[in-house]
Amino acid sequence: MTSWFGRLRLEKRNAPGTGVLLLVPLVSVVAALLFGAVFLSLIGLAPVAVYREMLRVSYTTGYGIADTLVSATPLILTGLAAAIAFRFKLYNIGGEGQLYVGAIAASGAALAFGDRLTGPAAILLVIVAGALGGAVWIAVPALAKAWLGTSEIITSLLLNYVALFLMQYLIFGARTFWRDPESATFPQGARIPDATRLPTLGTTRVNLGLVVAVLAAVVLYLLLTRTRIGYRWRVFGDAPAAARYAGIPSRQVIVVVLLLSGALAGLAGATEVAGRAGRLDPTGLALNIGYNGIIVAALARYNPLAVIPVGLLLGGVLNAGPALQTLPGARVPVAISTMLTGAILLFALAGELFVRYRIRMRDPADVEELAEQATTAVASPRAGTGPEAEA
Amino acid sequence: MSDMSDIPDATAPPALEAVGVTKVFPGVIANAGVDLALRRGEVHALLGENGAGKSTLASILTGLYRPDAGELRMDGAPVTLKTPRDGLERGIGMVHQHFRLVERFTVTENIALGDKRLPWRWSAAKVRTEVEQLAGRYRLPIDPDAIVGELSVGERQRVEIVKVLYRGAEVLLLDEPTAVLTPQEADALFVTMRALADDGRAVVFISHKLREVMAVSDVVTVMRDGAVVDDVRTADTDPEALARAMVGRSVDLSTRWARSAPGEPVLKLAGLRLDAVDGRGRLEDIDLEVRAGEIVGVAGVAGNGQRELAETIAGLRRPDGGTVQVLHRDITGVRPSQARMAGLAYVPEDRLGTGLAPSLSVTENLQLTRSLPFLIDRRGGLAHATEVIERFDVRTTGPGAAVGTMSGGNAQKVLLARELDVRDGLTRAIVVAAPTRGLDVGATEFVRDLLDARRADGCAILLISEDLDEVRALSDRIVVLSEGRIVLRREAADAEVTELGLAMAGQATPNDAPDEPSQGPSGGPYHEPGGPR
Amino acid sequence: MNETVLVLTLAAAVSAGTPLALAALGALLSERAGVLNLGIEGIMLVGAVTAFLAADASGRPLVGLAAGVLAGAAFTSLHAFLSVTMRANQIVSGLALVIFGTGIATFLGQSIEGRPLAARLPRTSIVGLADIPVLGRVLFSQDVVVYGTWVVIVLAALYLTRTRTGLALRSVGESPATADAVGIRVAAMRYAHVIIGGGFAGAGGAYVILARVPAWAQAGTTNGIGWIAIALVVFASWRPLRALAGAYLFGAALRANFALQAAGITAVPAEFLAMLPYVLTIVVLMVLSATDTRSRLGAPAALGAPFVRDER
Repeated sequence: MTSWFGRLRLEKRNAPGTGVLLLVPLVSVVAALLFGAVFLSLIGLAPVAVYREMLRVSYTTGYGIADTLVSATPLILTGLAAAIAFRFKLYNIGGEGQLYVGAIAASGAALAFGDRLTGPAAILLVIVAGALGGAVWIAVPALAKAWLGTSEIITSLLLNYVALFLMQYLIFGARTFWRDPESATFPQGARIPDATRLPTLGTTRVNLGLVVAVLAAVVLYLLLTRTRIGYRWRVFGDAPAAARYAGIPSRQVIVVVLLLSGALAGLAGATEVAGRAGRLDPTGLALNIGYNGIIVAALARYNPLAVIPVGLLLGGVLNAGPALQTLPGARVPVAISTMLTGAILLFALAGELFVRYRIRMRDPADVEELAEQATTAVASPRAGTGPEAEA
Repeated sequence: MSDMSDIPDATAPPALEAVGVTKVFPGVIANAGVDLALRRGEVHALLGENGAGKSTLASILTGLYRPDAGELRMDGAPVTLKTPRDGLERGIGMVHQHFRLVERFTVTENIALGDKRLPWRWSAAKVRTEVEQLAGRYRLPIDPDAIVGELSVGERQRVEIVKVLYRGAEVLLLDEPTAVLTPQEADALFVTMRALADDGRAVVFISHKLREVMAVSDVVTVMRDGAVVDDVRTADTDPEALARAMVGRSVDLSTRWARSAPGEPVLKLAGLRLDAVDGRGRLEDIDLEVRAGEIVGVAGVAGNGQRELAETIAGLRRPDGGTVQVLHRDITGVRPSQARMAGLAYVPEDRLGTGLAPSLSVTENLQLTRSLPFLIDRRGGLAHATEVIERFDVRTTGPGAAVGTMSGGNAQKVLLARELDVRDGLTRAIVVAAPTRGLDVGATEFVRDLLDARRADGCAILLISEDLDEVRALSDRIVVLSEGRIVLRREAADAEVTELGLAMAGQATPNDAPDEPSQGPSGGPYHEPGGPR
Repeated sequence: MNETVLVLTLAAAVSAGTPLALAALGALLSERAGVLNLGIEGIMLVGAVTAFLAADASGRPLVGLAAGVLAGAAFTSLHAFLSVTMRANQIVSGLALVIFGTGIATFLGQSIEGRPLAARLPRTSIVGLADIPVLGRVLFSQDVVVYGTWVVIVLAALYLTRTRTGLALRSVGESPATADAVGIRVAAMRYAHVIIGGGFAGAGGAYVILARVPAWAQAGTTNGIGWIAIALVVFASWRPLRALAGAYLFGAALRANFALQAAGITAVPAEFLAMLPYVLTIVVLMVLSATDTRSRLGAPAALGAPFVRDER
């Protein structure tokens, strides 16, 4: 009587296997590429050729791989920023603005004090300033969330626009401390002292920032899984009432997690200033690194260690868009990257259902067999704890 | 409404019938070849322990679940119910244990919800008239314009009943309707149920309470482990036979009181006061002593300050006045961890979500109220969890399993293992809320044994529950909480259901006035009446 | 500020508030069904770019508007599918919509970047009313979309409070299990209102390009007003008429910098004036949560929670 569709059922998985966890992001990427192919065809481009070019500029040449690593560095950091917050149901979507302010703070500190420092101290200065800048930018949403109960989602997001205007003001709006006084017609940020630049790996543009990002991921992972602090955060994220019951101070958790999240995004801004750009560069920063961090975190299922490979993968996709523009006769819209990453996230979200549930088709023969078992089981009297059907 | 008759016609086909109904869930056979015949004019009790399959059967009868095998028949004709709406449209209505009401709607809006007979631009006036008629006819006093969120549990239940009657239900299923009512409210409900049956409806009373089943039903069907084990006319049976059928063996229906006299006071509440927030959650001058080796039960209707009392003692709320002492140590308003250090354990009523973090593992949940070093001892935690699983017979896939995936009874074992299985002798006072709610008979006995053992160890136990039967079964002494005040104190042996019920409803007689002459609102030591000296 | 400047500013505030009102109505319908839609900004961008292309091709602004509505609704069906059928995290799904929508709009808008649109919405004065002093020029010398917004807002308010379907919708947002038990099709209600809400957000985006901004400017076309619209729903306690009033208030804030510049006040840099609406929104949200509880504000009780009838 019932159709095959009627016999489909969703069963909750206890613990998803590694296979599903890996398969979902991979299938999402492939599906997004197919989807992107449709759009590319619509505007009269050959998808296969475009994708081959993307592979070349991002993954298959030495130069391309280096570029991908450079793109991945801030992405891993904003990915960690989103992962650490989202994991505990604190939705900091202001990573973009925290990155800008981190970059402003890092370049400001470098310009102000960089001349007087050398070696590790100079680099530490930039990194700490960036992290502080990011933390300051989430402070108001964090405190409002903890003490007033204001949803952090919209407050943190709206501050992205405020940060963007602030950055534009510092470079384009007036002759500020951050602006290169030489650049009158095409304003740009002042160069930071060389001592405050992150050292690069050999002759490539890959810099110390990548090491910082990977280190941050490992430290976060250990913090979450091995320490009392991480344990308390996990209780809070899973069941706030249980955290309250256990005497875990919720407000403190909210503020600390969000500040840490903001600091990581700010750190991403610092690595951009002291690494790739060497100055506060508004156009170079405004590439949605903060938003894309959320995609990285979601694909990594908010696991800090998984953020590293996902960041490297998406770093290549994001690098490809601008890189294709530099090729002669390029007609591929730069937005191909944004569209693809957005599509990857959408597919991954749909795939999440298969991580959480198992889809089963019920065979009517099974049911009869089970019913038979049931009757025999009941016939033999048994006492004590049975499985609870009405739990 | 169909034609009514005063006498049930035994030859007519049943209004609703289940024939060989089987329902299988992953790992559980909830219903196995169940036959059940519901006739017009009868109150039909469906009796069984938690986990016996009653609720699953009710869900099949109302169209929420579809049977994997077997069929339903209405007036003799086979019928397939795909959704609860199918059931409702065919005249099968259910009043759930957890009410299905929109709290922010008025009573009328709740009743009108989903009624397709109403015009698209509906007006409340016509519905209100019909609601008033039904309410009057079956003695279900409700205010049609009240906001449901502001009603008491008993009132909400009446709204639910009127709601299904309004939709023309000929078969009414009531799932554990008395669990949250005072005995007097329950008696009033029985009058309504009888009136509904006399009007030609088939009424199903789902319960695990023998006394109530004997009092109100015409027919009893007993379920155990998903199957029907007995099907008799109530007049032809007795409580002992039903209990045997329900549990599958002889059971000790008597209560177990402390064998030895209680010792010194351990948990002392004096003049405890909590001011109302939004007119809710008030506590007023709570004076109470729990002595070593006794269980004091706190009875009351839901929402009369039980949760606030427990949380104030456990350090989760700061009282606005009064003191909490554990063994002469003042723990008023301290942090939960400090209350624990002073020797207080707290088992909250909400297991998953408050007592336990559902996504965390057994191992991690066993550490929730322990003080942990900065670096977590993973190996030690695992060993402890493995040992607890073994000793408490927790049915789970292992120490790494998330407690949210386990059954209620097994989750409760993890919670109790953490809060009650204290061998260091530190824990002296225990606050437990609704420890056996929703558990099957085996798990319930396990919990009772554990509480008995702690009592024998000399712990002072405060048991808080909305289920009067649970309070009566476990306590040595009973107090009744109503609107944040203790309105009655009795030795368990002297406690009468009627008196307790009136007190729960806030109608204590003047000579039961609980205020002690020996003490003022500022608190201080005092003696309770009737306590064994 | 002289009287002409005041009238012009108020009229501009009404016009600037119109896309906010439409987008807020879209978010409101979705949230009343219990589905949080954070994707408004992305939907507006998709609606705007589609409206530009359609209006440009046909030469008729109303064709652009219709295309924007349809594109918004179609795009939002993704969110409906993810949050209702796939039970995804609605917050992340909404964000995905923003990122994806920005990507699509930028992709499709590459060829029209910076280009002004010829087929803009004309001004249509209401005969008789437009001659009322001050009020006539503020309210009744606008375009048809401004008037249309009043109509849909009033209809939405009546729909929510006076109709059977409106009652069912509210129950789905408050307690889907209750709605399901009385036979209301929760998933269908959610799909319908999320998608219709997307249509309104698409209309808001279309209006931005057809009447507000001079040219297509990628993500800068809407510049975050989709997020302000979401905040507006909270501000309006989930009620359409209040959302309209709030939209005009925020519309005034969006126009404040131009008004100050017109009034000759240049001491504050333009960038800081541009921050004003965003900062104002944050402050308003904080004040609201400090003074009222979420439940008293009127947030649907089941907002953000997927509904699953049978978990077993």
